[in-house]
Amino acid sequence: MDTELIQQIRDKARSLLEEGTVEGVIGYERASDGVTARPFFAYKPSATERLIFDETCAHNLVKYLLDRRGKKMAVVVKPCDSRAINLLLNEGQIERDKVFIIGVGCPGMVETSWNHKSETLQAKCRSCQLSKPLVYDFLAGGELERQAEEETYSDVVEAEAESLATRREFWLEQFGRCIRCYACRQVCPGCYCPVCFAERLEPLWVGIRIAPEENELWQTIRSFHLAGRCIGCNECERVCPVGIPLSLLNRKLEKDVKELFAFQAGLDADEPPPFATFKKEEKLELGE
Amino acid sequence: MNLFASKNDLIRWLDSLLQERIVIAPVRGQAQIVFQPISKVEEIAFDFDNTTLSPKGWFLPPTETLFSVQRDDGQVELVPTLVEQDAVLFGLHPCDAKGIALMDKPLLQEPGDALYRERRTRTALVGLACRQVQPECFCTSMGSAPDDPSNVDILLTEVEDGYVVQAVTEKGKALLPQGLVEYKGKVPSPPKPQAVPIKEVISVMRELFNDPYWEQLGDRCLHCNICAYVCPTCYCFDMRDYTDKGKVERVRSWESCQSRGFSLTAGGYDPRTTKGERLRQRFYHKLLYFPEQFQDVACVGCGRCVRACPVNIDIREVISDLQQVMEAKSGS
Repeated sequence: MDTELIQQIRDKARSLLEEGTVEGVIGYERASDGVTARPFFAYKPSATERLIFDETCAHNLVKYLLDRRGKKMAVVVKPCDSRAINLLLNEGQIERDKVFIIGVGCPGMVETSWNHKSETLQAKCRSCQLSKPLVYDFLAGGELERQAEEETYSDVVEAEAESLATRREFWLEQFGRCIRCYACRQVCPGCYCPVCFAERLEPLWVGIRIAPEENELWQTIRSFHLAGRCIGCNECERVCPVGIPLSLLNRKLEKDVKELFAFQAGLDADEPPPFATFKKEEKLELGE
Repeated sequence: MNLFASKNDLIRWLDSLLQERIVIAPVRGQAQIVFQPISKVEEIAFDFDNTTLSPKGWFLPPTETLFSVQRDDGQVELVPTLVEQDAVLFGLHPCDAKGIALMDKPLLQEPGDALYRERRTRTALVGLACRQVQPECFCTSMGSAPDDPSNVDILLTEVEDGYVVQAVTEKGKALLPQGLVEYKGKVPSPPKPQAVPIKEVISVMRELFNDPYWEQLGDRCLHCNICAYVCPTCYCFDMRDYTDKGKVERVRSWESCQSRGFSLTAGGYDPRTTKGERLRQRFYHKLLYFPEQFQDVACVGCGRCVRACPVNIDIREVISDLQQVMEAKSGS
């Protein structure tokens, strides 16, 4: 643990609360297993002593800003999480002046499970190109040197090479395990529809059966709603209790959008995602 | 009287059970261990701490058709779903067996849930005592134990070269093979899970309903359904009629009090709109309403929700927090 970094986060959080700049600070504290981290909400200056930061702080806390719309909150944001801030700013879901961003330079997060911390860096961190958050009001720990691998989408390329039948079989098997707990949706900073299509009765998009075909429909629409919007935090895959490799779907869509529109979600708060824009030159001529 | 079965005896017995019944056992899958019907004994995972999902799904499946309606020549016929085969649920730990005993209370209470009752009647439970406990286990505080035989038909305890076999019920006795010899050795003493102060908490739950603690706890809750779906005692479900070209099916699927739509009523009123209120419902049902109705806490201490919650909402911590909240209240 980088104690100096943690002290900077605590000091900043404390002064923000003492000065009344924000109502609360969303950060991390040690989980009940004593090994991993969990989200933590500090409302009193004294509570900031519980804040920590280390390689187990995987949660993308930006999601919680959606519960706090209109309130002034500070939030601890890693470089990858900052893309969620840009996404939500762009989509008008949060207001910049209501959010105080405590950015952290990030050494990369490791794979964890309850009561266990591995040495293995999460896949998304291995190819992360960001040395600091894209947007912040205060940077704790400064910018970090990173030796990132080049993003080649090798997993996606490998999957694309398989036949349609093989891919279909693979995904039906994966979705067959889905228990429709919706943790993937609940944790996603890009999922904020007031009523999710999965719970809409009129019109009825998808039924309640926890069975391969309906699970497939649920997961397909979920990932398509995030095409060009997924910021790659991979929280959905991390929280999935049955280990469905959702990153493979999300990254396939990310790769396609990058190739077709030269766009990656969350890099710039002012540039809207391709599916929320319409350019005149994209208009098809009659019969085209 | 305790009997002894060598590892070979056990395999032969399971083989013979497979000839006449469905055998559901823990199987190691790609990313999880789950109870599922097996076709051969080799599929069974004998060395597991706890399965990802509890075995409740055998009795209350994630999804099932309750009945269908068929129309033919102006006649309407109701076709019930039938449970046609006997089954053995093999290898469940005592905590999971207690979970089934707890689900029995609401689901077998008259008039009872017909499909659940049928599956319960036709399934024998063969338990496996725990050789070790995990840091998240707390079964002894919840009225069970790693070697508790009370909710199974047969309990197996692993010893060197084989298993001590305890036939607990007549159903269990009838299932056992002939020729097992008496076990005269010592049955290993069970491991000790940690204790949580559950008794103290139940008595004060009523006074904490409006405590700000729930909204604070709700802050980090994602309101997914993981805790309810991995839980061996959560039994809430949703139902919907599927209609297609004159054929109707009434389907039910797991649902949980953490879902946004769970408490939404016709007309749009929702008595539980905040995250804290929904989360509070989970703990009140487990620790107050269920005990008041059925004289038992609706938690078996299996620790699955502790292990699976993505944001570490830990029922053991909630229980001890509530005790502290209460102490602080009565002290002030």
